[in-house]
Amino acid sequence: MQVLILLLIPFVTALLLAVFRPNAAAKTIALVSTFLTLGVALWLWKGFGGIEATYFDHVWIAEWGLNFKLGFDGTGLLMVILTAVIFPFIIATGYKQDLRQPALVNALLLFSQSFMLGVFTAQNAFLFYIFYELSVVPIFFLLLYWGGEGRRMITMRFFIYTLLGGLALLFGIAYLVVHEPTHSADFTALANVALDGNTQTWLFWALFLAFAIKLPIFPFHSWQPETYTMAPLQGTMVLSAVMLKMGIYGTLKFIFPIVPEGAAFWQNTVIWLSVIGAIYAGIIAFRQKDFKRLVAYSSLSHVGILTAGLFAWNTYGISGSLYQTFAHAVLMMAMFYIVGAVQQRSGTSEISAMGGLKLKTPRLAALFLLVLGNAIALPLTQSFIGEWLMFNGLWQLDGGAWMAFGAVSTIVLGAIYMLYVYQRIMLGPDKGHPDMQDADTTDHLFLVPLIAITLILGIYPAPILDLVNGPVQLMINAFPILH
Amino acid sequence: MEPVISAIQVVPLEHYVFLSFALFSIGVTGVLFRRNTIILIMCLEIMFNSVNLLLAAFSAYHSDPSGQVFVFFIMLVAAAEVTVGLAILVMMKRNVDSVDVNQLNRLKW
Amino acid sequence: MPVLPLVGAIINAALRRSLSGNTSGGFATLMILGSFVVSLLLFMGHDPAAHPVKIVKFFDWINVGGMEIPFAFQIDALSLTMMLIVTGVGSLIHLYSVGYMHDDKRVATFFAMLNLFTFAMLLLVMGANYLITFIGWEGVGLCSYLLIGFWYTNTEFNYAARKAFVMNRIGDVGVVLGMCLLFNLFGTLNYVDIMDRAGSFGTGHGMIVGATLLLFVGAMGKSAQIPLFTWLPDAMAGPTPVSALIHAATMVTAGIFLIVRSSVLFELAPFTKDIILYIGTATALLAASIGLFQNDIKKVLAYSTVSQLGYMFAALGLGAYSAGMFHVTTHAFFKALLFLGAGSVIHALGGEQDIRKMGGLKGVTKITFITFLIGTIAISGLPPLSGFFSKDAILAHAFQDNKVVYGLLLFGAVLTAFYMFRLLFLTFYGTYRGTAHPHESPLVITVPLMVLAALSVVGGMLNVPHIFGGDEGMKTYLATAAEGILSERLGLSHTTEWILMGVSTVLVILTIVYAYGRFVKKTTLDGDPAQLFGLKKLIANKWKLDELYAMLFEKPYGWISAHFFSIGEEKVMVPLMTGVGNMTLRAGKVISRLQTGNTSFYVFGMVAGILVFLLITLFVN
Repeated sequence: MQVLILLLIPFVTALLLAVFRPNAAAKTIALVSTFLTLGVALWLWKGFGGIEATYFDHVWIAEWGLNFKLGFDGTGLLMVILTAVIFPFIIATGYKQDLRQPALVNALLLFSQSFMLGVFTAQNAFLFYIFYELSVVPIFFLLLYWGGEGRRMITMRFFIYTLLGGLALLFGIAYLVVHEPTHSADFTALANVALDGNTQTWLFWALFLAFAIKLPIFPFHSWQPETYTMAPLQGTMVLSAVMLKMGIYGTLKFIFPIVPEGAAFWQNTVIWLSVIGAIYAGIIAFRQKDFKRLVAYSSLSHVGILTAGLFAWNTYGISGSLYQTFAHAVLMMAMFYIVGAVQQRSGTSEISAMGGLKLKTPRLAALFLLVLGNAIALPLTQSFIGEWLMFNGLWQLDGGAWMAFGAVSTIVLGAIYMLYVYQRIMLGPDKGHPDMQDADTTDHLFLVPLIAITLILGIYPAPILDLVNGPVQLMINAFPILH
Repeated sequence: MEPVISAIQVVPLEHYVFLSFALFSIGVTGVLFRRNTIILIMCLEIMFNSVNLLLAAFSAYHSDPSGQVFVFFIMLVAAAEVTVGLAILVMMKRNVDSVDVNQLNRLKW
Repeated sequence: MPVLPLVGAIINAALRRSLSGNTSGGFATLMILGSFVVSLLLFMGHDPAAHPVKIVKFFDWINVGGMEIPFAFQIDALSLTMMLIVTGVGSLIHLYSVGYMHDDKRVATFFAMLNLFTFAMLLLVMGANYLITFIGWEGVGLCSYLLIGFWYTNTEFNYAARKAFVMNRIGDVGVVLGMCLLFNLFGTLNYVDIMDRAGSFGTGHGMIVGATLLLFVGAMGKSAQIPLFTWLPDAMAGPTPVSALIHAATMVTAGIFLIVRSSVLFELAPFTKDIILYIGTATALLAASIGLFQNDIKKVLAYSTVSQLGYMFAALGLGAYSAGMFHVTTHAFFKALLFLGAGSVIHALGGEQDIRKMGGLKGVTKITFITFLIGTIAISGLPPLSGFFSKDAILAHAFQDNKVVYGLLLFGAVLTAFYMFRLLFLTFYGTYRGTAHPHESPLVITVPLMVLAALSVVGGMLNVPHIFGGDEGMKTYLATAAEGILSERLGLSHTTEWILMGVSTVLVILTIVYAYGRFVKKTTLDGDPAQLFGLKKLIANKWKLDELYAMLFEKPYGWISAHFFSIGEEKVMVPLMTGVGNMTLRAGKVISRLQTGNTSFYVFGMVAGILVFLLITLFVN
């Protein structure tokens, strides 16, 4: 029941905001709502027994095997907590932005939060799909009406491309339900469907395409840089911090339990695609002229490593990948916030137009530097632990040494572009910019908790690791892939 | 009834089928290729009549009255439909000032 | 114990606006001194015979599946030695900085960073497993970046800082992969566990060789060996105390430390040792050659550092781990001394760093001169100063194992003496060629100089070899920590050792005389590199290595990056994706032609449809 409340809080708030349009108080109302959600999520965490739990089950449409079944195991709970923790920050960003019709903006954001929470708690494949597609809709509107240049074309492209993946996913689910004895789309039931190797080979891609596009991994990534750059700041944050986690979570839920042989067949390919994509994105990030775009490519690079670690399908790989998703979310929030902060102060996001900002905004520069540490996986930050675990996971595969080498090389690439952009923006001689306001209380309130999370979890990762350990072990033992 | 039926059965059933088919085709061709709406409605009537003929023939040949009962139904419906059709025709004349069916081409957005 | 500098760093950073130079500096120095005192206490309480290794565990850091990595410190002879060096020399440098950085606006930030660096370095040497060491490893890299780029309004300095960090990171790839391999092989990263189990692998085992090679790649980056050394001379952009602390005494020795820590593994990989030997020797010579022609006082010292590091690596390659560590210790003393002395000179001349504009300072800056002289003698390897003992230990091992290497290293020693004394003579002797008003530096600067000079003189006593009647104290001490040292044997006869020492000493003295004649009597100044010819010109241009790297790596990387974007992304990837959308649109346009609006067409459609259905039912059933 509490899980249902978890979904309903943002949904109802969003509905109220959309209907009554209290523009002045919208941000505060939304912020309160997200804190409530966070409270419920933490409460759920406290009461979590470590095993999979179903909290709400209601048969909806029996013929399609659709049950409204909500629950979570360790990984789902991790995602729920991630969403609940990140969204207050996303809403809080709105205080610095001056978007028109804030009530609608916040309503859309809360709708998307509600649907994404639905994705993470759905225990029925069909329900998962419904929430998955639904969560794109508020973002579509957000991008279309509040986006930057070229928003029509880019949003349409983003939408159609994502839907294409969704179509493949729907097809896969339908296929599975048809073949499933009880015609139920519950994940537990689907895992029992007997599929032969050949079927699994193409079914893998039917199911994975949606997530490959969502994450994205090379070569399905083209929508990401332009969409991130064009979207309003809060939209980008939602996309990069939370939405792409749906891809990781979906992979865990769909691919490995249901098509393990297919996954084994495609494992090396996907890992190589991800690693190559990570390196590719890391290289491109270096010469980007737009700061926001550079961060988008850096996100792409990190996600490549995430996926590679996931597909290593061993304890270290998956634990590292899940741990890193949390780190990635925190990182992206902080990075994009800094992008926004710099953009507001200098009026542009073109890197070449900036320089020497540290002279005017030293505190902001210091915060930037701390966030940078997370981006380049400096030890004592969260990212280091996640990446270290994933590197180990990759190394332990057959032929994994080269994969690990590719993956580890991204730490060099990351250092190159991150330090480059820091230097070009913050350091250097005074370029005659007008005086700017340094990081103020709001900025600190935003960034300091994020940095604190990074450092604390970098030194003491046990809470997250313990949460994830149980289900990871279960998954690996239940669905071993031959490597 | 016997002499009536046997009298009817002098003409083989296939003849009725061919005639009905021919009438129907004429009706369809007329609907497709004639521009005048009045002619179009008349061709519709031809199609109806062909079907009636066929039904009556089969009913007689198999001594099953339900066919002829159905013919009554069809005639009833045809009458209603002709009424509506002629009403549309009148509206058309009033609005487009023509009975050419090709003038009705605004069903595009 | 590393907490003290960390506290210092945090407080200094937080209060940096309001603290003056003296307060923050004093506070920072106090923190380091505190650590030094603790290290001393630990050192004295440490009994190498009975309890060689003590592990202090704080908590379980990473605990996933089979991976258990505790946050633990290891107190043994090796870590204690490094701790003493780091905190001891470090506190002297902190004290020095109070005077040197006195006028800088961001002095509190400076001390915060210095303290942070010390914290990271302590983590590095005290770690009980590879991962903790790696925290410190990356941490010193970061602090190095921050400190080199301390004066951040200068784009060139920033670039140098970035170059340092990126080269370090390239080495780090090696360390990370090496750690992955080690973990995969041993199931743990704790030093004691690995060293215990390593024995079960035979010599030359592929995995061990691979791991040691990878670790050496990391050492190459951190300790500036070929090919990853060009960052160190550029790092002279940072303030002089930074150069002294980081690039003479501590961070660059991290690579050496790592290898000595893993000496057991390296003993099992003779292939790697050979490579280390060759690269170390080559680096020693290459850097020494470049140092001959440099005109910036700090750059000469930088190349000298690279060269001396080469010696240390050569020692490791020969299996002479304790000799390498001994040289680390003595080098820390006299190189820090030399750098701080250079800083004193620069401070005295108001910022001048070109030695062609110096001269005749020995009358003005007496203390600086004397301490600098002591440092120069030490580095040239003249008895009875410390440098003599450590360098000769290395040379002796080289003579025993590989005569060619011995010859090369001896030649390098000659070069070292030559360029160092050139530096000394041009800076302090003759008449003053500059335009500033030289004056002696304040006590805060000169006291550390004197202490370091004293250490440079007596440091040799740490590891006096047998032929002098000593007991090789350091070697025995360190052997308790790194068992690889046990296999370090110097099997030369005493006569040979005397001859070797005699040869090197004589050569060095001859070199000094020659240098004196050239630079004092005749005051030859090597002019601009543009005026030199042939080989000299090439060497003076640093063998054009920076240009080579720029051509091979930096330009292509930028080119690839830009072109991946313009071609890869914009011409290939994006059309792929927009193609999907476009296809949909086009399909839609085609199909929308069905909507003619023409009524009779629709009727036609109806009829056609019915016909199709009829045909289907006819033929399917």
